[in-house]
Amino acid sequence: MIAIVKRVLLTFLLLLLSSLAVFAAIRLSGGDVTAARLPASATAEDRELFREQIGLNKPILTQYVDYLGDVVRGDLGNSLTNNAKISSLAAEKIRNSLILGAAAIVLVFGIGIPLGMMAAFRRNSWLDTSISSASVAGMAIPNFWLALLVVWLFSSTLGWFPSAGQGGIKYLVLPSIVLAAEGIALTVRITRSAMLENLSQDFVRTLRASGLSESRIYFKHVLRSSLLPIISLAGLRVGQIVGYALVVETIFGWPGVGQILVNGVLRRDYPIVQFFSLLLVVVVTLGNLAASIGYTFANPRLRK
Amino acid sequence: MNLFQRALKNKQLVAGSILGAVVLLLGIFGPFFFGDYAKQDLLMGHKPVGTPGLFFGTDALGRDLAARATFGIRISLIVAVSVTAIAVIMGTLIGLIAGYVKGTLDTVISWVVDFVWGFPLILVAVLAAASIGSGLLPVILAVGMVNTVAIARVVRGEVLGISEREFVVAARAGGYSTPRIVIRHIVPNVIPVALVLSSYYVAVAIIAEASLSFVGLGAQPPLPSLGQMVSDGRNFLRLNHWEATIPGVIIFAMVLSVSLIGDGLRDLLDPRLRTAVERAASK
Amino acid sequence: MTNESSLLEIKDLSVGLRASNIAYDIVRNVSLTVNRNEILAVVGESGCGKSLTALSVLQLQASPPLFITSGSIMYGGRDLATLSKKEMRIIRGTEIAMIFQDPMSALDPMFTVGTLLTSAVHSHQSVGKDVAEKMALEALADAGIEDPKRRFDEFPFQLSGGVSQRVIIALALVNNPKLVIADEPTTALDVTVQAQILDRLKELKKDRGMSILLITHNLGVVASVADRMAVMYTGEVVETGAVSDVFDKPQHPYTTGLLGAVPRLGGAVSDLTPIIGRVPQPDELPVGCTFVDRCSRAVAQCSSIRPTLQVRGRAEVRCHNPVD
Repeated sequence: MIAIVKRVLLTFLLLLLSSLAVFAAIRLSGGDVTAARLPASATAEDRELFREQIGLNKPILTQYVDYLGDVVRGDLGNSLTNNAKISSLAAEKIRNSLILGAAAIVLVFGIGIPLGMMAAFRRNSWLDTSISSASVAGMAIPNFWLALLVVWLFSSTLGWFPSAGQGGIKYLVLPSIVLAAEGIALTVRITRSAMLENLSQDFVRTLRASGLSESRIYFKHVLRSSLLPIISLAGLRVGQIVGYALVVETIFGWPGVGQILVNGVLRRDYPIVQFFSLLLVVVVTLGNLAASIGYTFANPRLRK
Repeated sequence: MNLFQRALKNKQLVAGSILGAVVLLLGIFGPFFFGDYAKQDLLMGHKPVGTPGLFFGTDALGRDLAARATFGIRISLIVAVSVTAIAVIMGTLIGLIAGYVKGTLDTVISWVVDFVWGFPLILVAVLAAASIGSGLLPVILAVGMVNTVAIARVVRGEVLGISEREFVVAARAGGYSTPRIVIRHIVPNVIPVALVLSSYYVAVAIIAEASLSFVGLGAQPPLPSLGQMVSDGRNFLRLNHWEATIPGVIIFAMVLSVSLIGDGLRDLLDPRLRTAVERAASK
Repeated sequence: MTNESSLLEIKDLSVGLRASNIAYDIVRNVSLTVNRNEILAVVGESGCGKSLTALSVLQLQASPPLFITSGSIMYGGRDLATLSKKEMRIIRGTEIAMIFQDPMSALDPMFTVGTLLTSAVHSHQSVGKDVAEKMALEALADAGIEDPKRRFDEFPFQLSGGVSQRVIIALALVNNPKLVIADEPTTALDVTVQAQILDRLKELKKDRGMSILLITHNLGVVASVADRMAVMYTGEVVETGAVSDVFDKPQHPYTTGLLGAVPRLGGAVSDLTPIIGRVPQPDELPVGCTFVDRCSRAVAQCSSIRPTLQVRGRAEVRCHNPVD
């Protein structure tokens, strides 16, 4: 119990430090904000004055604290592109990304775990070989290429699903599959190897000798032990999905946090980049934290 | 059976090596063979594979796809290999120090390592690009940093395990100096793990660079990064899909060969390594 | 040997390895009988096939690549070797139970002792949770565990070697089997704990009228616990008999050798006589008697004709030239 509390505190400390680092890096490279806000005829002194007033000359730590204060109060700044209030866009973008991310996670575990179990159960059969090869390939395919492939196949050729945009389940299918692909492949591999390893453990023999049925042994006992590595994966999956979402949302025109962040970087829209990158850093950190806590609870050895 | 013979029997290693060799040769000799990757010929745009005189056809601006693709291989490989080399060296060093010296230094290093390790590579690279601008440099920095951390983590774990083993304790009891123990006894045991891990991270680095270039944040034009070529070709899929397919297939082949080599190496060196690599590979 | 008091009759059992280019038997024509209310010990060196014989009774051998290639295992009028997986499952735990060598790895680490026990109960009977729990606690007590309630909620990693083994014994007892097969149950334990476990097994035999098929390589264990014993060498039974008889007057040269190699209290160390030579591998067995190269009593036929198991009074010997 104490270990968990320590871990949470530690994580928050590191989160603070890293978000400061990210903030500083972006703020300091921020380019000349004055160029976007002041007319071209402004003099150097005017610019300096402007910077002073905005607060860009204060020590970076102070700026950071000020920024956090603003965020808490709901003032997220304005986009440099169209001067829109970030706070009004944020909710929608976040919601869209959550939908996509949730769909992907459901796919990763909903498809990955059963397939991995099937492959382990029918080891070395053609089913196992095809599932295993597919997962090796799945991990090697860069997801943007997979996206194009999928779009070409299902959208252009077969016309089953739309290739971009939003507005209903139909639009969700392709992007979530692409987003989940690598996670599914990894989950299959880890599930399969964990199950195979556990199947050859001594305790399985004891259970069999007690007269437990094969399916009970498989689903209740072997699976339970095999879930441990999968759980420790789970939180990292959040991080991975966040990362891939940056690319997937861009390709499919899915209006989420990833897309807006990437566009923000391309256009040097610093307030946007500032807020959304900090957001993602927080999300990933919390995901990892949740995973390690989850693992601690799942493993009886660590619970006590 | 000695190591070499076992290596030959390992199907993954063989397949991966052959594939990798093909790609490598294309990357090394291709540019010499196919000529200038930046030369445009607007009248000869969008030519498909099979056009006489052209190996892979041309892209929208009439540039020779074969020349661009093979140069792109070089870029990917240079990034991936240099990043991985740096990461392996620095990561191993950090891991060795943390694992052998232990104490507060180790604790601090571990905290930082564990924290960074959980971050998706692409996010770090995007953040790097946001800080220092687009190009190859943020990619190298980001990929390098994350890989260093991942390797440090695994190496530290291995070192911790090994330094408790009898032969190290015996060496210390015999009064051997610390560097000697580390170099002669610990490093050789750690190298196989680092090797297998680095093959995995080369694959990750290749994908990261390609993804970033695809999105526009990586190598800038006119440098022909494979990822960017896929992005360019994306708009012309109906017209001449080869523009996107060729670079895509090449990326896939590179990553696949590296993964196969890595898997094969792992099986070859020690089945026991599987857990260490899989823990690290869950990233 | 007799059929009314016999509980388990293994007749002419052969178990072998069958894989792509490998085919040889590890257990060869083994015949053993375990009677009611008796502890039969099967002794032999590592690799003689005693564990595999035991595993085959409940069809727990790793199959592939190990298969029963001939013979029968008679229990309650049925041949266990011919039963389907489903039928086998019903027998495991309720009629015949098994305990294994390494207690520390034999229990599923993710579940409590109590859950494992009640699982075993629920696999065979549909009773209420409280009934199952009661049965589990009784089994734990029978196995010699003090404070069963506490252990009920503990996880395997919290248990010591001795306690783990008792939990495994409890698992074997919870469905009241008539026969328990114990494969080297004390080998992985400290000597003092060994003695306790063995005593417990003896008491269980007495209190429950249970029979035990005990596999071991330790003659001391045999002497302290078993009623009858069978000696195995290279996959065959070479001698059987009452423990006191065999220890007193061994008939097979290998048995003599085994007993001669065991130090006795009071004897000088120079009295130990090892058996010369080494055990032949299962895939390079000689044609006649497999012990011939190491035997001081070998006669002409030993090299060419494999001896059969002969009955001599209450004992059996597989030898052309047995002692006395």
